[in-house]
Parts: sequence; C-alpha cells; structure tokens
Amino acid sequence: MWSRTVANTVTYLLLGLGALITLAPCLLSVQTSLKTPQQFAAASPFAPPAPPSTGSYAALTVGEHTLFPPLVITMQVVIVVVLGQLTCSVLAAYAFACLDLPGREWLFRVYLGTLTVPLTATLVPRFVLVSGLGLRDTFAGIVLPTLFGSPYAIFLLRQFFRGIPADLLDAARIDGAGHLRVLRHVVLPLSRPVLATLLIITVVTHWNEFLWPLIITSGERWRVLTVAVSALQSQHNGDWTLVMAATTLATCPLLILFVLFQKHIVRSITITGLK
Amino acid sequence: MRVLAAFLLLLLTGCSVAGGSASGRTTVTFRLWDQQVAGAYEESFAAFEKQHRDIDVVVQVVPWADYWTKLPADIAAGTAADIFWTNTSNFGLYADNGHLSPITDGQQAGWTRSVIGLYTRNGKLWGVPQLWDSIALFYHKDLVAKAGVDPATLVWNPSGIGDTFLPAARKLTVDEAGRSADRKDFDPKAIARYGFNAALDHQAIGGDFVGSNGGTWQDGDRFDFAGEPETVAAIQYVVDLINKHHVAPSAADTNTDGDKTLRLFTQGRLALFQSGPYHLKSVQEGAAFDWGLAPLLTGPAGRVSVVHGVAAVASAKTPHPDATAKVLSWIGSAEGVRPIAAGGYGFPGVVAAEPEFTAYWQRQGVDVRPFLDAANGTTFPAPAGPRVQAGTTAALPILQEVFLGRLGVPEGLRRAQDAANQAVAE
Repeated sequence: MWSRTVANTVTYLLLGLGALITLAPCLLSVQTSLKTPQQFAAASPFAPPAPPSTGSYAALTVGEHTLFPPLVITMQVVIVVVLGQLTCSVLAAYAFACLDLPGREWLFRVYLGTLTVPLTATLVPRFVLVSGLGLRDTFAGIVLPTLFGSPYAIFLLRQFFRGIPADLLDAARIDGAGHLRVLRHVVLPLSRPVLATLLIITVVTHWNEFLWPLIITSGERWRVLTVAVSALQSQHNGDWTLVMAATTLATCPLLILFVLFQKHIVRSITITGLK
Repeated sequence: MRVLAAFLLLLLTGCSVAGGSASGRTTVTFRLWDQQVAGAYEESFAAFEKQHRDIDVVVQVVPWADYWTKLPADIAAGTAADIFWTNTSNFGLYADNGHLSPITDGQQAGWTRSVIGLYTRNGKLWGVPQLWDSIALFYHKDLVAKAGVDPATLVWNPSGIGDTFLPAARKLTVDEAGRSADRKDFDPKAIARYGFNAALDHQAIGGDFVGSNGGTWQDGDRFDFAGEPETVAAIQYVVDLINKHHVAPSAADTNTDGDKTLRLFTQGRLALFQSGPYHLKSVQEGAAFDWGLAPLLTGPAGRVSVVHGVAAVASAKTPHPDATAKVLSWIGSAEGVRPIAAGGYGFPGVVAAEPEFTAYWQRQGVDVRPFLDAANGTTFPAPAGPRVQAGTTAALPILQEVFLGRLGVPEGLRRAQDAANQAVAE
C-alpha cells in the first residue's frame, strides 16, 4: 500500500513536470501577448505584464492587422481539403482493401512509397506545374495538390477496412448490395473511429500547413493564417507582442477542437501509434 | 446536402473577402519584405496611379524569414514580381544569370552614391536604391554621464595604444553587486549591465571593426578575411571584448538571437549599442530613458562604417516592360520615395528626399546626423557577389564557435574562409 502511494506520487510528480515543460512556452507566449511593445522592451521577458494590455488582440481582430480574412481562407482551405481527402481516401482504401484487381498489392506499394518523398523535394516541380496550369495565387492552387487523398490516409483506412470481417461484406453482397452500397451501409458505419481520427489529423495538418501556401500565393489576397502570422515579423523588428498574440489566436481553434474531440484524439494515438 | 450548401456559401464569402482586379489597366507587381514600409509604398503608388491611370501597382509583402526561399521558386517558374526588393547579398546571382534588367534611368545622379556602388556589377547598375543603412552608436545618457564617458570620442586600438574605448566599456559594465569591470573584485559570472554590444553581427560590429582597422573581408567575390592581419586583429579585439574583458553579453546569447542586444539596450542593461537606423523605431518605442546618438567608434584607420542598401530590381521576364519602367522611374524619384523618408522608415535612396527623414526624427527629438556623417565618410562595403549568401551561410557555424571562444580566432577565421570560398566555388 505504502509503496503504491510512493509510486503514484512519483508518477504524478513526473507527469506534472512534463506538463510544466510542455505548457511553459505556451504560457510565456500568452503572457507576452498581453504586454505592450514598451513593456516588452523595457523588462525581462519573464516579467508578468503589468498592467495586462489587450492592444495586440485589438490590432489582430478589429485593427490594422486583422486576422479575419486569413482565418476565413484557412477555414475554406481546410474544409475543401478535408472533404476531398476523406472522400478520395475512403474510395481508394476500399478499392485497395476489398476489390480484387490484378496488381493491386503492387500498385498499393508504389503509392505508399510516395510517403518517403518529402514535400521539399517536390516543391519546385509542383510549383512549376501548378503555375503552368495558371493557378498561381488562386484558391485552387492552394488546395489542388492535396485534394485527392494522401498515401497516409489511404494506408490507415485500408488497414482498418481489412479488419472488417469478410462475412459481413459477403452477407451484404448476397442481399444484392453493390460496392457503393456496401461501402456506405456497412464499411463506413463500422469505421467511425478511424474516420474521426483521420479527420482530426487532416484538419490539424492543413491548419498548420505553411510552406505550400507561402510559395503558391503572393500578396494578401489568398493569405492563410500561418503565412499572415509570419508576415507580422520584419527583418529588424521582431514585433514579439503582436506575433505572440497572433500565434495564440491561431492555435485557439485547434485547442477548441481538441477539447471537443479529446476522446477521439486519445484514441487516434492508440490507433496510429503517432502523436 | 445542407453541409454542401453551407460549404458553398463559405466559398462565396471567401470570394468577397478577396478584392477584385482592375480591368483594362496594366498591373505591375511590386514585392518587398517589410509590412510597415509596404504602407509607405501604397501611399507612394496611389500618387503614381493618379498620374498614370492606365497602370495599377499591386504591392505584395513576403515575410523576411521566407523571402529568399520563395524568390528562387518564383524566378525558376518565371513568375517573379515585376519589381522586387533585394539586398546586396542576394542580387548578384540573379544579375549574373540574366534574370534582372539593368537600370538605365537618367535620374541616377540624384541617387545615394554608395548604394549605386553596391549594386553595380560588371559595369552595369542593377537596382534603384530605396533605403540605406550606416552605423552609429546609440548610448544611454544617464549611464555614460555617471561613468564620465564621452561616447563621441571613443577610440579603439588592438595594440592598446591610445585605446580609450576599452577602459570606458569596462567602467560601464557592472556586476550584480554594483562593481564595475575595471575592479579586481568584479564578478564576470553575474553581470547586471553591459558596456557594449560586441557580437557576431557583420553589419553593426564585424565589418565596422575590420574596416576601421584597415582590413578587408572580400577581394572581389572571394573571401580573404583570414589572410589579412588587420582583419584578424580586429576580430580578435571584438571576441576579447566578449570572452576576455566581459564587457559584452555572451555569444551563447547573441549568436542565435539577433534581437538580444537591442532588448538589453531598451531594458537599460546595455550602455553603448552600435547599430543602424533600422533600430531607430524599436529604440524610440522601447526605451523609457534618455538616449542619444554618437558617431561610431574610431579605429586605427579612422571611423569606417558598413553601408548597406536595399534596392528595387526589375525582373527581366516582365510581360509589360514599359509600365514596369515607369514604376521604376517613379520609385527612383524624390516624389516616389518621399513616404518612406517622411514616415521615418529609413534613409531614402534618393538624396533629395533625405531631409524628410531627418526632419521626421528631429520631430521625435533625435538627431540622425551621425548616420549621415558615417555614410559620407569612409565606408566598408556590404557583402557582395553571386554566391556570397552561400559563402556566408557556410562560414556562420564556424564563426559562431569563434565568438563562443571555442575556436581560436586565426584558426577559426582560416576554417571559416575555406568553407565560405568552397561554397562560393560550388
């Protein structure tokens, strides 16, 4: 009993320490966002804001650096990409898992192999390609390259679909259901957890996507949140209070998402073994 | 179905967020990395568009941190802005590869001469000067008065003969118990206030010390700093200020945080801050104490300041060269750069607009003459050449070790120079 209490205490102490290390930078960022540039310049970064100021937040919401247009654009990008990716990935994964076609495994491996090619390697060719289509600095240019499924999503879904008992699918087929019907009425309802997981991972990835939107757009028109926040800094002027307020605001939607879907996110870690 | 409708609605609202493009007018794009100066350009181009109703100038801001990542992609795809800002380290590559149009504007006589020099390559001028920076000494008035230091007369010398700067810096450096660095019981492990901002900063420190000791950094496009005894002595002096005399913050703090010394100065924890006009606004906003500007330090070869300039260059691939030439000519006129000067953002590249910048800072109670004097005196060129950026990047980690005191100065400079020249040759 006694040793259990000690073990628990040690565990909680370690967990508490971990939480502190993880949260400290975020707290520092929130604290900095509540200072005026003068307060930030005049005292140590660790000094608490006295008095707290909401000037940076005002500038970022209703003021000259308003983040609303980039927020709307980011939401559009995320919604379009998530819908496109989920639809295409589900169809592709079903094909890879349940259809009998010649060379299926081979095709799947080749497709999976593209996971090993990093984005930076294909960046310039992709940029030249999309520019050639006349889609530079357009909404389509931002979403098109990632609209049609991702190897990661297809891999995840295929593994899950293969775990569904074949008898269940056969039973549906005997009842006269075609592939689409099997997919819609049998496979998808059974796959809710993995779909939720995938939804969260895709939303987070594309909410944070920076390099591609930066490269393919120029100017303010199609600026997404990440690029807008980065643009607040210039060469010699860090503008830290504004940048910290902007990063705090930009992470808020993800935090809300996390609170709402906490259960699914924890499960996603156990399903995928990823963080 | 409802989801789809909501989604389409969102798309439509997105379209209304974005502005429409002007029809029937030629659009000239102008790209820079500074959000604040972009406002000044908007003002300038509004005046331009009144005179040229057939041209629409669109200003694009690409963040500084990613400017040089995005530019090569745009150049490769032939989609660069018609006119874009560049610095001296980066334009050479594009000029040599035929991506830029040479400048043949007749207004050249009215532009800042040192900046014209920086952007002249192979006998041709490649950029219209927009902003320039020279170096001066920001000082904390109370601190220097208390220590009895006159910041305008400081002389440094690596041999120690006639060196008034080092004793002053030691007097200005104070530990947490209030003991200055010239006392025997000074504790270098608990410094409360520093005398000077010696750091790995080529523009504000390195180049100026090297130049004022009569050394060089580059010979043509190649680096030659390790072979010049004056250069080695100057860098040794700067490194000693940090690691031997402890009058400057540790390189562990300044190597990776370019804002560290600026913050120390505005916090009142740094007495002498040698820097450029690019920090005027930050110091003015951040410092709650009286501060002044003095000329930069005098070395054995006199006062020598690094002069760096930002120029606007024209893409050779622009589909509308006539309209682009008109816009370029506008930003090469006093009228065109006036909002930049009048807003206090930087010394303008057109000499006739200069008084507006001086007047702006006069109204703020700051006399910017030390910068003008530095630019009109002996100057030290900013890094140049088509591969200089690659060379500087290769040398950086080695120079950081030198400033940390982990690598001796002569040996470190030799290694850094080899790495830099190898990168240049690649």
